[in-house]
Amino acid sequence: MREATAAKRVSAAEGGTLCTHEVRLSGRQWILAIALIAAAFLSLPLVWQGIERFRPAADYRIPYALSSDYWFFGRYCRWAASRADTLVIGDSVVWGQYVGKDQTLPHCLNRLAGRDRFVNMGVDGMHPAALAGLIEYYGRAISGKNVIVYCNLLWMSSKRHDLQVEKEFQFNHPALVPQFSPKIPCYKASYSRRFSIAVQRLVPLLAWTDHLRVAYFDQMSIPAWTVKNPYDSLLKAALRGLPAPDDGPHQEPVQWTERGLAKQDFPWVQLDTSFQWRSFQRMLETLQARGNRLLVVVGPFNEHMLEPGSLEAYARLREGVAAWLREHGIAHYVAPVLASEDYADASHPLSKGYAVLAKELFVEAAFARFDAEERGNHVP
Amino acid sequence: MLFNSWIFVVFFMVVYPVYVVLRGTPFMVPWLLLASYAFYAWLNPLYLPLVGYATAITYFAAWLMEKAGRRKLWLILSLVNSLGLLGFFKYAGFATDNLNALLGHMGASYRIPAPGILLPIGISFFTFRTVSYIIDYYRGQVPRERSLIRFAAYVAFFPQLLMGPIERSTNLLPQLSGAPKITRQDIADGLSLFIVGLFKKAALADYLALYADKVFDAPAQFKAPALVLASFAYAWQIYFDFSGYTDMARGIGQMMGFRLMLNFSNPYLATDLGDFWRRWHISLSTWFKDYVYIPLGGNRAGQFNTYKNMILTMVISGLWHGAAWTFVIWGALHAAGRVVTRELERAAFYREKVPKLAKQMGVFAFVTFAWIFFRAPTFHDASLIVTRIFTTGWADPAFPVLALVLVLAVWLYEHLYESQHKWMLALAPARVAIVVMMAVYLTVFAGSGAQPFIYFQF
Repeated sequence: MREATAAKRVSAAEGGTLCTHEVRLSGRQWILAIALIAAAFLSLPLVWQGIERFRPAADYRIPYALSSDYWFFGRYCRWAASRADTLVIGDSVVWGQYVGKDQTLPHCLNRLAGRDRFVNMGVDGMHPAALAGLIEYYGRAISGKNVIVYCNLLWMSSKRHDLQVEKEFQFNHPALVPQFSPKIPCYKASYSRRFSIAVQRLVPLLAWTDHLRVAYFDQMSIPAWTVKNPYDSLLKAALRGLPAPDDGPHQEPVQWTERGLAKQDFPWVQLDTSFQWRSFQRMLETLQARGNRLLVVVGPFNEHMLEPGSLEAYARLREGVAAWLREHGIAHYVAPVLASEDYADASHPLSKGYAVLAKELFVEAAFARFDAEERGNHVP
Repeated sequence: MLFNSWIFVVFFMVVYPVYVVLRGTPFMVPWLLLASYAFYAWLNPLYLPLVGYATAITYFAAWLMEKAGRRKLWLILSLVNSLGLLGFFKYAGFATDNLNALLGHMGASYRIPAPGILLPIGISFFTFRTVSYIIDYYRGQVPRERSLIRFAAYVAFFPQLLMGPIERSTNLLPQLSGAPKITRQDIADGLSLFIVGLFKKAALADYLALYADKVFDAPAQFKAPALVLASFAYAWQIYFDFSGYTDMARGIGQMMGFRLMLNFSNPYLATDLGDFWRRWHISLSTWFKDYVYIPLGGNRAGQFNTYKNMILTMVISGLWHGAAWTFVIWGALHAAGRVVTRELERAAFYREKVPKLAKQMGVFAFVTFAWIFFRAPTFHDASLIVTRIFTTGWADPAFPVLALVLVLAVWLYEHLYESQHKWMLALAPARVAIVVMMAVYLTVFAGSGAQPFIYFQF
């Protein structure tokens, strides 16, 4: 009755037309519509998880094509946290840029352990500022676990890597870095874009729609995909299954000297002013707050590639990192440099390098204590 | 800022609650003015002196008309100022290009330097608001607005600032003078309008733009089927884009207790060109009727003069849309279309025997053809498109099936709306389902990037 009265009043005032595509609802109908929309928003990602086949095999690593699919990372975290003892998080060094899935650090650790206890959670291009955001917003399932965090000092090798330059440039995973504070000088996205990203972090449905776009529609919006594939079935594309994991290396496994890389004089940043280091610290705090036991592996940088002056600065930086970890009681292992021929570039080992690193880590006391605590064994 | 952006949501969440509290108090209008200027300045702070200047000159012209007599003088000065401002920003480049072309044709080596002036968004719209006010005041149709703040708020009222509707002072100023009532139904209706507008813009217009832009940007690479479908896509794109904006603007106004005028009424169901212009951009077509067509003489001096005035009005309207000969041609085509359909309607056979659907299809086809000139970046491209439509053969147009389905669904909706089966759309479950589907579609399917509105460029 009230609806009819309201409709009549408006009708009398306006000659009956709100607009010619009007879909007028009363207040109560709007409440019902909003409730249905909210229910759809909450249930769609959950229903999709039931439909989408995801059964990772041994040595699974996130498909390279899904590096920017943060919803999928969240799903992978939930799967890994429910099954594995220890999660190994980090960037493409953990992922294994130059090696096959059965030659990565987590695989080598599993081989030494005699069973699959370590899960490869590495993501390509995941610098500390992005990794902090990834863990904070999409890694909530990593809770009460053993976590090996790989610290790649490459991200502090210059002001540009450290995101401290003024000039705008395209850096990895801008949607994961802080959007408003602290200010990143080279990040010049519009406020509208930043708000959009901030909302996406809070609304799982939006991250899920991004997952569809990245995983099934060639990283394009669905409308753009239909323009490119006008007669293809949307449903068929969406139901074809997740991209297969990359079994082989993403880049050719060739030593750095054969790749034509020369010695470099990296302009290392100062640790106390490093944005990436502050982000790394923030990530460790987040993981600890969620009850995780941490072991930080300070990666073996390719010191053979450093000019003498740069080598000294790197050594100070590495010692500064180790000192901070000691001070805060965080278990850590500073990996010694590998043989020159075991590197593909400045920070990525080749297969033999990973095997050596895993072996050294496995016998390291800090690792033994870290590992034993997870398995419930007390090591004095 | 765009209505379909999160930054606008934040803006509205700040402006609206304060407005609701200040409603009916002396602070309501200053708050609306501040919000409107902030809204405009967000695009470019340099726009503010422009709208402020246009507002002040018009306001003081009316004041002088009342206080100093010589009404016609102040009217003319105000009009010269307003239209001069519009002409400078919008047509200086066009005039320069044409003068340089003429100089080149005459063999002169000198060229006038290009002015390189940025066209302020919304200038065409707020200029027409100031012009309509001063003319209405001169004619004695509106009282002089005493408050400069209220007048400025009328000119710059943010829901309609950038793309209309071109509100008349007779409609908006009285609403700004009172304490707008906001009922629950107003909020419900405002939300309805907003979501419909958002769906039209984000789900339909931006989708069709992907195909239309692909073809219009490189017409030589496409054959007749793709060119025809791109024209069809553009016809719907511009409609959804502009009417979507208007719906959002009216929805925002409605939530604030303001009634902004209807600007579109199913234009693609028009049965002649006159009918089309009574349904398309209604605030502009009525503006041109009241301030150009009727002052020229309207239909009061015989058929020849009626058609002459109609043609002039349509050509000027075309030029209003853009500073290029393609817009003039577009206006001229519509003028020709109006003359032809008006003459056809005089014939009893056409009027009574030709089915309504056939007339609608004919008008839609003609309007779509005219849009080619509106959309094409140059006359050469427009000619190329038209020529290739009639001379090239078949090739797969690769038009997305989903887009076709969506457009047909909207067209069917419009037909139902104007038919005796309209009751089906009035069923509550149908309406709730449509709103839910629109919201889910927008979130899941619509592209992530908000495209600027087409009429921002006019």
